[in-house]
Amino acid sequence: MATTDLTTREKQPVPGKEQTRPGRFFQPEVDICEYDHEMRLWVDMPGVRDQDVNVMLEGGVLTIEGQVAPALYEKLSPIYTEYNVGNYLRQFTLNESIEESGITASMRNGVLELKLPKAEKARPRRIEVTAH
Amino acid sequence: MPLVRFTPGSDPVNGLLALQSELERFLRNPGFNLGLSGYGAYPPLNIFDDGDGMVVIAEVPGLDPASIQITSQGRTLTISGERRREKLDGQASFHRRERALGQFSRSIQIPEHVDLQKTSASYEAGLLKLRIPRSEASKPRQISIEPVERR
Repeated sequence: MATTDLTTREKQPVPGKEQTRPGRFFQPEVDICEYDHEMRLWVDMPGVRDQDVNVMLEGGVLTIEGQVAPALYEKLSPIYTEYNVGNYLRQFTLNESIEESGITASMRNGVLELKLPKAEKARPRRIEVTAH
Repeated sequence: MPLVRFTPGSDPVNGLLALQSELERFLRNPGFNLGLSGYGAYPPLNIFDDGDGMVVIAEVPGLDPASIQITSQGRTLTISGERRREKLDGQASFHRRERALGQFSRSIQIPEHVDLQKTSASYEAGLLKLRIPRSEASKPRQISIEPVERR
């Protein structure tokens, strides 16, 4: 009836390259925000359990992968459906250099939170102008 | 009632493929009437039969389970809640804002053969799962013929 703020957007399949693993891959929706000292990402991956997430950073490319758990749908026969399920995949090229050892990732209720601390040299620095 | 039942075997890849094609087959099945709010309303949901009644699964990640409200009135089931933005620490600039955040409320019409009063709910991995068991009256019953007494 009254859907106040939200509407459902169809899941977007991962464009471009073909996957080696069969089945559908979807692009999870993300929010990315930047602080002076770090980048923070939130990734919506409903149907993915906490332990089934992979985050990789290689050559400045951040890869986020989530394996959906078919067991959540075990012994159920569909009658009516509005969404399909599939693994999630998303890649970003990072412009900032990241302190890889400081990356933290946590998964809760189908949302991944990533904190990527910027490397010392990438942080904005105020340069004092000295008056003569 | 559907005859095919999805059971993932030992092979997770084929389990997922089988599930995907099953879900595809019933996409927006016109044979099932949701009533008030159809496709496009938030959250998206799938409806299943588990042999003992109906199961409704909504994809709605990032909720605080305590904040989810599930109410029923007559044959109408309503799910409402709010997807809140995570706490930010001071000044931050957003590069992307794709996630659907905010308040939602969705009501659907539930068929006669299930007992809404006995609905149970669970929340795992961003999936809200409601089980609505079949009502006693809709279960098949054998009616025996009483013997006619001879006089």
